[in-house]
Parts: sequence; structure tokens; C-alpha cells
Amino acid sequence: MTTAADSNAQPQGAHYLDIVDAVKTYDGVRRAVDGVSLAIPKGEFVTFLGPSGSGKTTTLMMIAGFEEPSAGDIRLDGRSLVSIAPHRRNIGMVFQNYALFPHMTAADNVAFPLRMRGVERAGQQRRAAAALDTVGLASMANRHPRELSGGQQQRVALARALVFEPDVLLLDEPLGALDKNLREQMQVEIKHLHRSLGITTIFVTHDQTEAMTMSDRIAVFNNGRIEQFAPPLEVYARPATQFVGGFVGDSNFLDVVVSDPARGIVGSSTLGELNTAPSALAGGTAARLMVRPESFRIDAGSDAPEGRWNRCSVRIEGSVNYGDSVLVMGRAGEIPIRLRLSGSDAMPLREGDTVRVRWRPEDSSLLAR
Amino acid sequence: MGAISASTPAQAPIAASRWARRWLPWMLLAPVLVYLAVFYLVPLAIVIVSSVTDPSPSLSHYRDFFTDSFYLRVLSRTFATSLIVTICCLVLAYPLAYAMARREDTLVVAMLTVVALTFWTSFLVRTYAWMVILGNRGPITALFRMVGWDPPPEILFTRFSSTLAMVHILLPFMVMALYSVMKKIDPALLRAAQNLGASPGRTFRHVYFPLSAPGVVNGCTMVFILCLGFYVTPVLLGSPREQMLAGLIGSQIEELLDFGEASAMAVVLLLVTLGLVALYNRFVGIDTLWG
Amino acid sequence: MTAQRRIDPLTWLILAFIAAPLLIVVPMSFSTAPSLEFPPTAWGFNYYRAFFSDSRWLQPLLNSFIIALGAAALTMLLVIPASFAMVRHRFHGRALTNLMLLLPLMAPHIVIALGYYSYFGSLHLTQTYAGVILAHTCLSVPMVFLTLSAALKGFDRNLERAGANLGASPLRVFRHVTFPVLRPAFVVAALFAFVQSFDETVVALFISGRDAATLPRKIFDAMRTEADPVVAVVSTLLLAAVIAGVIGSRLWQRRRKRVNALAFAMQ
Repeated sequence: MTTAADSNAQPQGAHYLDIVDAVKTYDGVRRAVDGVSLAIPKGEFVTFLGPSGSGKTTTLMMIAGFEEPSAGDIRLDGRSLVSIAPHRRNIGMVFQNYALFPHMTAADNVAFPLRMRGVERAGQQRRAAAALDTVGLASMANRHPRELSGGQQQRVALARALVFEPDVLLLDEPLGALDKNLREQMQVEIKHLHRSLGITTIFVTHDQTEAMTMSDRIAVFNNGRIEQFAPPLEVYARPATQFVGGFVGDSNFLDVVVSDPARGIVGSSTLGELNTAPSALAGGTAARLMVRPESFRIDAGSDAPEGRWNRCSVRIEGSVNYGDSVLVMGRAGEIPIRLRLSGSDAMPLREGDTVRVRWRPEDSSLLAR
Repeated sequence: MGAISASTPAQAPIAASRWARRWLPWMLLAPVLVYLAVFYLVPLAIVIVSSVTDPSPSLSHYRDFFTDSFYLRVLSRTFATSLIVTICCLVLAYPLAYAMARREDTLVVAMLTVVALTFWTSFLVRTYAWMVILGNRGPITALFRMVGWDPPPEILFTRFSSTLAMVHILLPFMVMALYSVMKKIDPALLRAAQNLGASPGRTFRHVYFPLSAPGVVNGCTMVFILCLGFYVTPVLLGSPREQMLAGLIGSQIEELLDFGEASAMAVVLLLVTLGLVALYNRFVGIDTLWG
Repeated sequence: MTAQRRIDPLTWLILAFIAAPLLIVVPMSFSTAPSLEFPPTAWGFNYYRAFFSDSRWLQPLLNSFIIALGAAALTMLLVIPASFAMVRHRFHGRALTNLMLLLPLMAPHIVIALGYYSYFGSLHLTQTYAGVILAHTCLSVPMVFLTLSAALKGFDRNLERAGANLGASPLRVFRHVTFPVLRPAFVVAALFAFVQSFDETVVALFISGRDAATLPRKIFDAMRTEADPVVAVVSTLLLAAVIAGVIGSRLWQRRRKRVNALAFAMQ
């Protein structure tokens, strides 16, 4: 498990939100959250990414106070949150289905937290109006949630979560119900809000594209554990485990054995000797070599470029043309391989053709098996 | 800005809340359960106990009930009438519910309103309406006279009149039970059946009717059970010589003041009713009885 | 089988069968003849005047109101916490408790009426408001429980979590979020309890009487003894009340444009 301490992109500043070895179990046997630790500095945008049941939502609920950790601690600015009731945590939250109060207008919804905090009427109205204006819904203040579209409800939920200037903002898969264009628009708006307010934000999603575009760092959850906590590019290019490699982006995996760790040479039973980056794994270790489909180039043979390249032949079994790229499915020997060819390489390939491809050692990752 | 209070020892509030959480449901349920125990279970127990202790401890009431042909005839009459009412309700309610379930427009809202109206009107008012209609100065007898049947037959205070009125009174129950299930049948299934070669008749037989079956079972069970224990209408509109079980229990108390005998019959009625409910629950599940 | 424009005559006939008999009580109430003659030969407000001036009718009417109000209030008080417990908590004995709460609905009224006759008789609760209210409350528990449970099951818990997250303590969450959203269901449940008590006949026959006689008991006696046309007046008034209620609620539903809790009742 890679923690923030191991990450190269170590942000400066005290750790503002600290999750320390959090565990959650409902029946004492199966752990929904199995020892999760995260140190998040103030103002960072962190995404919890993972499949359903990976523990990301449960962890979020523990931060919000709707689930009690079976073990471990959650600290905000040094103080433990665990014994504090959810209504006293001063944390903003946007729920998956927005949870707007149907019997109140948008303005009343947004004013609610201020009302709970004893702000006087005039102040409530002024600040609620300002918050709605920030999300562009000043004209909808007197509408009820059922009179608003999904995107508008979303924004009201955001305004309501931010109007009382919380310490942390939590978002539980808020964009799932929106169509693609609206989703992308909201992603931009949320990021914009984050930047202008500088608020520590945690965003839960199972959509890896969303995670990639929005986060400062991504925490990849699997089976109640965090497998990697690092900036998006690092998660993509240097996945810490096979799961991360497979979950984020498309990938190919080859079974290899480490031959020469210092020079980065591994052996594949099918493809022979392959070059990769020097690794920390000991010689003789069984490992997996991960290569992303877009790392492949057509190897015409005649134009041998500089550097060490890996080469193999792929027998085509099918292809899908995406317009800007072609996804080719085939086999190298017995191993299924997916290639994503673009630009001049993206030529029509027929089933049964054999094509020669190459990839660079730096474009592959070596993962323990 | 932050409203976080100073952290208190974590254990105490958590332990206290855990204890509260375990007992909370029972604390919430205690009032109604104690209430029902004192004001429902006790009188029920009194009936059961009285059936074997009043006037003296014995099973004589039950023996009488199951050996005397008079009582057995009442029992079989009650069952038979309930069965007839249930079948008539089903036959009448099905086409109506079917027609309503297939539409979405304001007409169906109007029809539902009418059914709701009768649903909410008291049994007594509806019984009275039939008393007027079937009375010997009412419209039906007037009709008989018009076609030359004079003196017209006595239709009030017969088994026929009480059965007819019961059908009328219980019909909305059947309609609603059927409607709520039929409403959920996906029209796409019917289109698919036709697309696959089934005629409208076969589509109904092989697709629609089986899908509506839960509603049929619901409605029939509910109507049958209601009929078994029906007091008001058979007593007011039925023949005093052909009583149903509930009426007999009532007259046992009112006229003969025989509490033990009445209790025994009440216990029999109760057991039959609960038995049917248990049967229904075993095969279908009691939560579905109310949609 | 696409939805057709016309409804076939059979459906209309059945609908007529359901609705028409009720309508007969209305003209009947305007008859001035001493018997149940239909069609009435003489018209007038005689029997209306008779009804509204006869304390033997007006007292039971008042009694039924008071008793129904009492029964509805008591039932709501008992069942509201119970339905929260049943819907939101898991515990041993939940199935048995469910059965217990529904038992009064399953047992025929005549059976428990017998029990009340003896039990309340020995407690000197017969022919009192208290006795009838206590009995009617038991009988209303199942229906109110079903209505409230259905509403609670459909209630979005996230609303309460949002309330808490935004700073409302559990009590304030109930006051500002849970109750307002559930209010329509509460109203319908209370209405159910009220109408059920108001119309309840069998138990009332056995334990109400004299000062605490209910309207149904009076109607039943009147129908038994004289087939009194005054009953037509009572019936018409009750029918008018139901019509006003049902139509009123439809209009309210259309105005509010949200799921009417009455729809729960109709399932």
C-alpha cells in the first residue's frame, strides 16, 4: 500500500484531514473498510476511486459521521471526529441523490444550515441568495426541488453544502445521474469552486475518467483497502498494483519472471526477453508486466529508432474503429493483447492479418504478482 | 466558524448510545404492545377461556357445535355464501379493474374516485340502500308489478338479498386488490407476446391472467375472510331462519344470553379465519395482502 | 392490446352497479312518506327536520365524533413510535410483533365484540366514551400501522442525514425534515382511524349504548326496528361527507402535484 509518504508529489503543509487505520466491519468477519490511512493536507482535492463495495463510500460516511469506525481514528486539524455527532462536525456533504428537502424552496434549503446555526433571518436570506448566485441559480430561489432539473438540483445541493463555510467538502458520486455533457460541465464547475474557495474536498466516484480530470490525488480503493494514493498521472503511468493498473485505464498484462533487476530485463515464456525500467523486485520473482494499449506502435522494421525497444507479432482477431483511434484485439502467441493505434498507425486491419508492433521499456510497469 | 466542540472521552457516549440503540425499538414499541395486550389480548383470551369454562369447565359447547346439524348447517351456509360472494365479486371486479388498469387518462381517475367513494362509505349506509331497493315498496318490486308479477316475490330478508348486498359491499375491495396488481403489469410484455405469435386471447390466457393472479389471490382471500365474519348485512338483510355464523353468535348472546356457547362459536370462527390467513401467509406472505 | 378509446358497456354496467345503489338514499331522504316507498310519492324536508331536532339522533352523532376523535388521537400516539421501530430497526421478534400489530385486522369484529362485552362489562366500561374509545383504538391500530409503515419505507433516509450534516440535532431533524415530509401520510392515517371508528358497528353494538351510543348503533337499531326513513337522511349526510372528502382530496392532490397519501390507502 502506497501512502502519501512514499509519493514523490508530497504536498507541503500540515495534514489537515487524517484518517488513521480506519476499520469498519458490520458482522465482525467481513471488513468493509480494512485499515485505511490517508493524510490529506488542507485545500487538496482528493478522489476516492474504486468499484462498488470497495469501501470508498463507507469511508466517506465515517468522515461525515453516519458510520462509526470499528477501529481507528479520523482527525480534523488534530482533533478526533469520532466522538462528535454528525450534526456538529461542520462538514459539507453532497449526497448521491442530492437529498434536497422537498417541502422547502431552494432558498430555504440553502438557508437551512444557517438557520440551524442560529443566524438571524436577514443574514440567512442574504447568504443563501449569495450562495445560489455563486452556482448560477439566483432566479430559482423560490422554486421547489421537484420543479428543478437534475443539474439544477445538483447545484442547489452544492450551494447548501458550502453556504456555511465548512471545513471539508464531501461529494458522494454526485454526478452519476447526469447525462454526459452536463456531467462534464459540472466537473468543471466543481473544480472551479474548489479552486476559488480552497476547500479540502473529497470526491467519491467509480468513474476513472472523472477521477483523472478532477483530482490533485487519487486514492484507489479495492476490497476495503487503499492500493495507491498518488496524483493522477502517477496512478496511470506507475500503478502500484495490478488492480490499479487494470482499473484505471485499459491495460495488458503479461506474466514474466525477473531476470536482471538492475538492467530491467524480464523473461516471458511466450515473448522471450523483454526490456523494462530497472525495478526493485529481486531476480527470479514472478511478476506481471503491464503495457497500456496506446503504448504500441507499428513496427515497420526498416525505420529502427534509437533506444531499446520491445517487439512482438500480433495476430489480429478483431478491431473497432473509434474515429480518432483503432482498438485492435489480437494475440501474441497465446496471450490476448489489446492495441490502441492512432495517427498514421491507425490503418484498417483485417481479421487474420499479422502485424508487428513495438513499445518502449519506459511505457511498461512491472508489478508484483 | 467551526462548530466542532471540544472532544470528550470517546468511549462513554458511544457505549451509552449502543445500549440505547439495542433497547430503543422496544421502548418505541412498548406503548402499543402493552396497550394491545391489555385491551385486545385479554378480551380475546376471555372469549377463548369462556368457551370451555362457561357455565362449567367442559368442551360441551364444541361438542354441541360439531354434532348438532343446526350448527353445522349454519357453518356450511356461511362457507357456501362466502364462496359465492367471492366468486361473484371476482367475476364482476375483473373486467372493471382490467378496463381501469389499461388507461391513464382522467376517465380512469373519475372511475377510481367512484370506487373510492363506495370504498369509504359505511357498510350500514350501503346495506340501507339495498333495503330501500329491495323493499316491497321499492323499485324492484315496482318493476315486478309492471311486468305483471303481482304479488311480487319477497326478495328482502332472504339469503338472496343478503348475498347480493354483500357482493355489492365487498366489490370495491376486490376491484382495488386486482387494480393495484394489474397496474403494474408491463404492457411491453403483452406486445412481446403478440409479436411472438400469440393471439389476443392466448396472450390473455398465457401472459396477462397469470400475471394478474397475485391480485386475484389477494382479493379473493380478503373478500372470503371478510365474508366469513360479516355481521351487519346478513343480520339486517338476511333471513332470520337462515343465519350466518356471525349473526348466530350475536343472537346467541342477545336472545339466549349463552355466553359460553357464543364464545365457542366465536372461537371456531376465529380459528377458521386465522387458519386461512396463516395459509395465505405460508404460500404468499402476509405483507402482500395490502399491496 | 393497446389502450382503447371506448370503454365497453360491461364495464359501465359494473361501475353502475357499484355506484348507483348508493344514490338511491338521496331522493329517499327527501320523501315525506312514513315508509320506504320508492319512488317517493311526496317530497319535503320533513325527515331532515325530524333528524336535526331529535336528540336521539343528534346525541349519537356527537358521541361518534367525540369517540372517533379520541380513538384517532390515541391510535396515532401509540402507532407512530411503533412504526418507526418496525421500519427502521432490526431485532429479534420483529415478525411476531408485526403479526401482533395486524391481529385486530384479521380477527372478525364479532369475536372481539364478545370479549369486550364481558371484559368491559365487568370493568364497568360499557356504555362509556372511554370503553368505546379504548376498543376502537385497538381496531384502528393495524390500518394506521400499515399506512405509516408504507410511508416510512418510502422515505428517503438521506434527507435526514442531510439534515444532520447541515447541523440539525436528531430532534430538530424530526421537526424540520421528517415530520413535514411525512405529514400527508400522518393526516391520511389519522383520517383512516377516524372514519373507521366513526363507521364501526359491531363492537359498538355490544358496548356502546345509552349515553355513549354511537351513530352506527343508532342506525342499526333504527333499521332493525322500523326501517325508518330518517335513516335515509343520515345516509345522505354521511354520503355527502364522503363525497366532499374524496373530491376535496382529489382537488388538493392536483393542486399539490405530489403523490397523495390516499394513493397508499387505495392499494
